[in-house]
This record gives sequence, C-alpha cells and structure tokens, in this order.
Amino acid sequence: MSVLNQAARRLAKASIIDVRSFATSVRRLQAEPLQKPVLNKEFKIYRWASFGSPCRPTFENPDEPAKKPNLQSYTIDLNQTGPMVLDALIKIKNEIDPTLTFRRSCREGICGSCAMNINGQNTLACLCRIDRDASKDSKIYPLPHMYIVKDLVPDLTQFYKQYKSIQPYLQNDNPPEKGEFLQSQEDRRKLDGLYECILCACCSTSCPSYWWNQDEYLGPATLMQAYRWIADSRDGNSAKRKEYLQNELSMYRCHTIFNCSRTCPKGLNPAAAIAKIKLDLAAD
Amino acid sequence: MSSSLILRSTLPKALIKRSLFHSSTQIRQATSDRFAYVAGGPIYRGTVNDPTTFPPSSKTHGSYHWAFERLLSAALVPMTATAFATSGTNYPLLDGILGLSLIIHSHIGFDSSVVDYLHPRKFPVFGPTVKWTLRAATVGTMVGVYQFNTNDIGLTELIAKVWTA
Repeated sequence: MSVLNQAARRLAKASIIDVRSFATSVRRLQAEPLQKPVLNKEFKIYRWASFGSPCRPTFENPDEPAKKPNLQSYTIDLNQTGPMVLDALIKIKNEIDPTLTFRRSCREGICGSCAMNINGQNTLACLCRIDRDASKDSKIYPLPHMYIVKDLVPDLTQFYKQYKSIQPYLQNDNPPEKGEFLQSQEDRRKLDGLYECILCACCSTSCPSYWWNQDEYLGPATLMQAYRWIADSRDGNSAKRKEYLQNELSMYRCHTIFNCSRTCPKGLNPAAAIAKIKLDLAAD
Repeated sequence: MSSSLILRSTLPKALIKRSLFHSSTQIRQATSDRFAYVAGGPIYRGTVNDPTTFPPSSKTHGSYHWAFERLLSAALVPMTATAFATSGTNYPLLDGILGLSLIIHSHIGFDSSVVDYLHPRKFPVFGPTVKWTLRAATVGTMVGVYQFNTNDIGLTELIAKVWTA
C-alpha cells in the first residue's frame, strides 16, 4: 500500500514538474522561429545624376551627364520590409545601393520631404503602402516635370520662390490695442483644410498647367496658400493679395483639371480653394 | 525667363558664363564654384531667396475675362435650348445672338490654348502670329455667319436641315 502511495505521489510530483518545465523545455528553446515566406518584389526606380554617380564622379565634364536617365530595378523581400514605400527605399539604400538618393525626414506624412511619383501617382512615399502583389513591379519616379538634382530629388527652388511671392504671413496695419487678434469660430473654420498643407508639391507637379507654365503660373499649392491668407479674418492685406492675381497667368491658368485634389496625400482640396479665389475676384 | 530659356536650350554653357546675363540671372551654384549647376537646370530670375514677381495687374485679363467667359458659357445653355424650341426664320435676332456667342465662346477657348502652349514669352514670333491668325479667323467667321444669317437660311435652320438629312 505504502509503495503504491509513494509511487502515486512521485507520479503527481513528476507531472507537476513536467507541466512547469514545459514552458521552458529544451524543445521550446531549440524550436526554430516561424519563418516568414520570402515575398520578392521588384522596384524600378528612376536614376539620374547630373554629375554621374558619386562613386565614379565625372567631374571632368559636368555639362554632359555621363549617363542618361534610366530605370534601375531592385528586388527586395517584402516580408523583411516595412509596409510603406519609404521603408522599401530605405531598405534598398541601406542594403543594396547606397547611391540611391531621395529626400525623407519624418516618415509620417508631416514634413512633405518624400513626395515622389509612385506607380503614376504623386504621393508621399511614407504614406503610400507597398502593393503586395509581387507579380507586378512598382515604378518610382521623381515629381513629374521638375528639374532633377539627382535620382528622386527634384529642384523645388521655383516652387519655394513662388510660395514666397504670395507673402505667406499675417499682415495687418491695425493690430488690436492689446492682446492677440480675436477670431470667431466661423472665421477660424474657414482656414480648416487650408492650413494643413505641408507644401510637398504633389499637387502642383500633377497639374498640366503647372507643367507647361511653371515660370508664371503659381500652381495649386501656392494658390491654396494665397487663399489661406485671403480668407484669414485677421489679415488686412487681402485687397492687395487679390490684386496680384489679377492677370491671365498667375492664377487663371487653372482650368479646373482637379489633378491637384485627386493627388493630395493629405486629402486637401486645392481646386476648391482656387475656385473660391476666382469667385472672390469676380465679386470684387 | 524667355531669354534665359533660349539661352539654356541653344547657347553653349561657356557662353553663359561669359555673358552679361550672369550678373542679372543667378545660375545656381553647386557646392564648388568650379562646377556651376547649369546642366539641365533652371536659370532663375534673381537669387534663390527672391520671390517670383507677378505680371502687371489687369482686371480685363483677370476677373472680368473669367466672369465674362463663365457667364457666356452658362448663357449658351438656354440659348441652345431656345434654338431647339423656336425656328431661326421666325426669330432671326435670336439666331444671330446664338451664332455670335458660339463664335466668341470658341475664340476664348482657342485663345486660352494659345496662352497655355504658345505664349509670346516662350515663342516670341510664333506666339503672336498664331494669336493674330486666330483673331483674323474669328472675325472672318463672324462675317461669314452674318452673311449666312442675313442672305441664307441661318445657322439654326442649317443645323436642323443637316440633322434631318
């Protein structure tokens, strides 16, 4: 009897130990982690450098770029990459080709640095999910119809010069006696959908009018900011701001194509802002 | 910009460096002075920190033009509808107004294309040539429609006849 009892107790003890030890069993420790399947996808990226590639600079003759623009293809494993196109670009730059050049900063759609043309649509690389269909390649170009500095980096100097021309700051000759400018809630609401613009230039570079007349037409991004200051109840210079636009080129090259509103990665509506300026000017 | 555009496309880069334009137009510099960034790049007016300038203000080219164009386009809708309802022989004035409006409407449309694609600042000779050709064509069409409306059956009747033919 006692032998049986002992045996039963030992068994119970052993089973407890066994249950406890299961969590840290040798088998569990040695188990291989679940491998994600390899999902290779091809990215075709626009490459061009005005001075040849930095590895083999052709400084002898900078006037003639060594190579014509070409699409270079890179294949990466999507299951070892983050979800966004910017993650893929960073992975390519880190692991495959450090000469690939692009702008990026915040990786969350706030800075507007990584604006580029992805699969035919101007958007921010950090807000654009990678299409996980590995049978199709993804094509990445810089913003269309801009001068290119290198690879995916466009020259935005003209864009910024235009933004500067609309004087994007508060102007009022009669500031309140003391304290700040007060604004009604309705007046404040007029600025919603305008102030969120991050000037990534996706809309302007998607506009055919801006492609053909970039030197004179301001483009949707700048015009929306022009309206942002015209609509501001605290600003006292709206008459002057409107007068600047009274010519056939600065604003009236807008033919309501709506590419700007369709492409905006922040979901804003520059076309509506331009339409409101036109109405304002017509009512003047 | 027109002069600089021409410079960029035609003249050798060495000439730009030596030319008088160097002082007035800023050629964007790369990090080193030895390598002026010219290849394929824009030549800006003023420095990179100067804002772009606006053309002279003119309401005729701005809001009046736009408002006129939109009102005319909107007015064409009821005008076309009345042309369907009535006949040109009974209301010759209506027929005439419709013809005139159509011509002006298409003139504004063509003119807009000319400004878009053949602006004189880019095409100093061809642009104005096309502009004046368009004006001549518009005036010619007006005379033609006037003659047709006064001496013949008129625009609405013609369309009605072609429609039923």
